[in-house]
Amino acid sequence: MSINDEFDKKQIRTPLHYIFQIFKKKVAAIIAVWIICTFLFIIIFADFIVSHSPSEQNMNALLLPPYWLKGGNTAYLLGTDELGRDNFSRLIMGIQRTLAGALIITAVVSFFGLILGALASSLKNFKASILHHLLDSLLTIPILLTALIFIVIFGSSFQNCLYAIAISLLPQFIRSIFLSIETEMAKPYIVALKIDSMSDLQLVKNVIYPNILEPLVTIINRVFTMAIIEITTLGFLGFGVQTKGTELGAIIANNFEFMYLSPILVLAPGITLFIIIFSFNVVAEGIRHAIIEAEQ
Amino acid sequence: MQTLLNISNLCKNYRRSTGFFTSRQIIAFGPVNFTLERGKTLALMGKSGSGKSALIEAIAGITKPTFGEIYFKGRPLSTLSKKDRHKSIRMIFNDPIHSLNAKATIGTTLLLPLKLNTNLLAIEQKRQIKDVMKLVNLSSDYLNYYPNILSIYQLHQVAIARAMILNPEIIIADEVLATLDISLRFKIINLLLTIQEKRNISYIFISHNIKLARHLSDNIIVLNNGLIIKNTPV
Repeated sequence: MSINDEFDKKQIRTPLHYIFQIFKKKVAAIIAVWIICTFLFIIIFADFIVSHSPSEQNMNALLLPPYWLKGGNTAYLLGTDELGRDNFSRLIMGIQRTLAGALIITAVVSFFGLILGALASSLKNFKASILHHLLDSLLTIPILLTALIFIVIFGSSFQNCLYAIAISLLPQFIRSIFLSIETEMAKPYIVALKIDSMSDLQLVKNVIYPNILEPLVTIINRVFTMAIIEITTLGFLGFGVQTKGTELGAIIANNFEFMYLSPILVLAPGITLFIIIFSFNVVAEGIRHAIIEAEQ
Repeated sequence: MQTLLNISNLCKNYRRSTGFFTSRQIIAFGPVNFTLERGKTLALMGKSGSGKSALIEAIAGITKPTFGEIYFKGRPLSTLSKKDRHKSIRMIFNDPIHSLNAKATIGTTLLLPLKLNTNLLAIEQKRQIKDVMKLVNLSSDYLNYYPNILSIYQLHQVAIARAMILNPEIIIADEVLATLDISLRFKIINLLLTIQEKRNISYIFISHNIKLARHLSDNIIVLNNGLIIKNTPV
């Protein structure tokens, strides 16, 4: 808000503006942003991109190589699998499922984690220590195990798989947020704001979250990476999406035995996964460095 | 002469756990008694760890005292609402760089106490902010700036403006002059003294410099191990 109307506001840069300007100069991060944009485009328009239905079988074209190799066919860009299904279409649908699932999990976990972390930080003494120990004991159970237990109880489907991963990632997220808020709470400017009679929740919402952007980016990026790894792992193990379904982990599991006959069947989803995780990490690192540089 | 602040038998103990079930009491400051009158200045002196900071934190309302009572204009502070308390007793921190929110403009920082503690209209808030900026000799162009581009002297001016924004009756200054070089130190001292003349407020200073304390204050209190060992008018 502007208090001094006579002053030209264009001369002043807000911290976010400053961070963005530094971020724009990071070439690798910008390339990664464009890669992510491509993937987002694929998620939204997957149904229009695919040339075949991912479950459509062609008995005359089993285990075709990609089109640039001998025997390839331009109708099947990345060849076909052992049932004659188009590998490219399955890959696109797989990207849609896996990436959209991971993004949804990240959004949900971040939303609830930020709220619960703020509430947790307003606890004092005994209650805070109980919460600390509770979260600590939850952290001793591996995420994959929590997810597996959930799926065993509620049955295996992609939806349950997403619930399971979100629930198993939440304690870790709250714990990290809680710690970041706690270290920030001890700083002198927070004490000064408390004397301005600001309440704890107002402080966390309006002051602390903008000031802990750097750890926040790291934590959210970690949640995203973990989510995508867990989804594909559960898919690979056959707990999430069933093997006939399309999901990058499930596709890899399904094509595993034909790896020697047609390596592209496993290589394509594997490399795609690698690119997704790598580009998200590069972007997160770019943002983090931009924040650090802007603060200096 | 009106007595603004009357501190009677104020104590603060910290409990530090030494094992699972055992804990030890650490006395930050013992029973302390003193009074502060309107328009007067009090200097708190003492070596590090003598309880000066704990005492002013208890007065400013950052921590609660374990025992004893602070009377503000004859009324116990614990019966006052949080807002009234923060309105009449304000604090200037010793490090202006770290006591300002780096992600907020100077204007927002000054506006916040007004928004939270008063029911003024937006126009009145703006006027009050401009008044206080004039009081500390700072151009109101700075309201739209972030603290990182201001010099240390300007940040001190902002910190004083922030303390003055609610028209308090007592200002507590925690070693405000320690981080400044000598010429700026005198500028700040003169600024504080002119503000005292204009608004007739009382100061509680913490200082390590005895000459400065004699110059500034009407009363010097020396603390040692949490107890007042000397309370002399200058």
